[in-house]
Amino acid sequence: MNLDCPDWVLAEISTLAKISSVKMKLLCAQVLKDLLGEGIDYEKVGKLTADAKFESGDIKASVAVLSFIFSSAAKHDVDSESLSSELQQLGLPKEHTTGLCKSYEDKHVALREKLRETSLRLGRLDSVSWRVDYILSSSELREVNQPVIQLKLQRQGAESGAPETTVVSVSADKFRVLLAELKQAQVLMNSLQ
Amino acid sequence: MLLVLSEEHKEHLSFLPQVDAAVVGEFGRIALEFLRRGASPKVYEGAARKLCVPVEMVQHGVEGLMFLMTESSKHMISEVDFLDSVLVLGFSEELNQMLLQLYLQHHSQIRSILSHLPSSVPAYHNLEWRLDVQLARRSARQQFIPMLTMRVHLTRSDGHSDFNSRILQTDPSTLLHLISTLEAALAAMKTGHARRILRNIK
Repeated sequence: MNLDCPDWVLAEISTLAKISSVKMKLLCAQVLKDLLGEGIDYEKVGKLTADAKFESGDIKASVAVLSFIFSSAAKHDVDSESLSSELQQLGLPKEHTTGLCKSYEDKHVALREKLRETSLRLGRLDSVSWRVDYILSSSELREVNQPVIQLKLQRQGAESGAPETTVVSVSADKFRVLLAELKQAQVLMNSLQ
Repeated sequence: MLLVLSEEHKEHLSFLPQVDAAVVGEFGRIALEFLRRGASPKVYEGAARKLCVPVEMVQHGVEGLMFLMTESSKHMISEVDFLDSVLVLGFSEELNQMLLQLYLQHHSQIRSILSHLPSSVPAYHNLEWRLDVQLARRSARQQFIPMLTMRVHLTRSDGHSDFNSRILQTDPSTLLHLISTLEAALAAMKTGHARRILRNIK
């Protein structure tokens, strides 16, 4: 992994070794569920660690160290064998390491996808809705007879992250320019895929 | 160090010897809850009804007790000084001992609550970053501009648990300069001058 292992990880690996390797695999499954955004069931975790008489501090530490191992491994796209040898060098027993690496392999792709989704993006566009109106007349001119487009853009605010809505009305000519430019950008994006 | 209690404070606390010891203990508990969560008028009314005294007396008694505890904790008063300070109130020995016990049990908690009170500048909490490369824009194609975008999460200055965030963007050379400045700041802690000061504070 070419990374220095933080001291707290080294310390907590020995805590992990206290539970049986079967329970370890189930604990890994819970931690992976949490990392994938499905939430963690602390009651189940409590039951898994009850035999080894973990206190609440130990439980939190084990969850934290497994989270760190999985997310760092996925972040740097480490393969299963390197992870396994690294963990054994740090002192995790062989059966625990095997269980952990198997869980990692199973969920490796899903984890990377999730990490990709949660990467920093500013002002993510959520949805676009549009409407075409035909202006018949106005207070300035009796016969206008022109189409106009209303665009509603819903996005996440860049600074706040809260949903924001922008409404724009665009005349037909301007809209043609907008469309042409966006199509050029799309060609560029497709060429990079 | 002795606490000097104002006349008004002594008057408020003079309510305490009129009730029995269990009630004083209860008042102590209410005073600490007040510190943690703020006053609750219902509790005062309930106590006043049970003791058949006006609500203000209960309220002043509890507030006086709380003020005594916070002032003592603030100045880290020793046991002897605490007892001497409450001696001036003319309470019974038993009551003095109760107050002392209350103080000893809770003074570290009170100090930690008090330390959270003053508002602080926003502090660093977390950093998210992203490295991208701008390849083209509407007016210029075939570009290559690397940029680092960061979102810094800061704790709010009034101590609330939600976070402010600031968006920052920088190019690689500014980033390197930023890193070297921060490393120099960290290294400043290890100079002889800083070490001498730290040794003297400890």
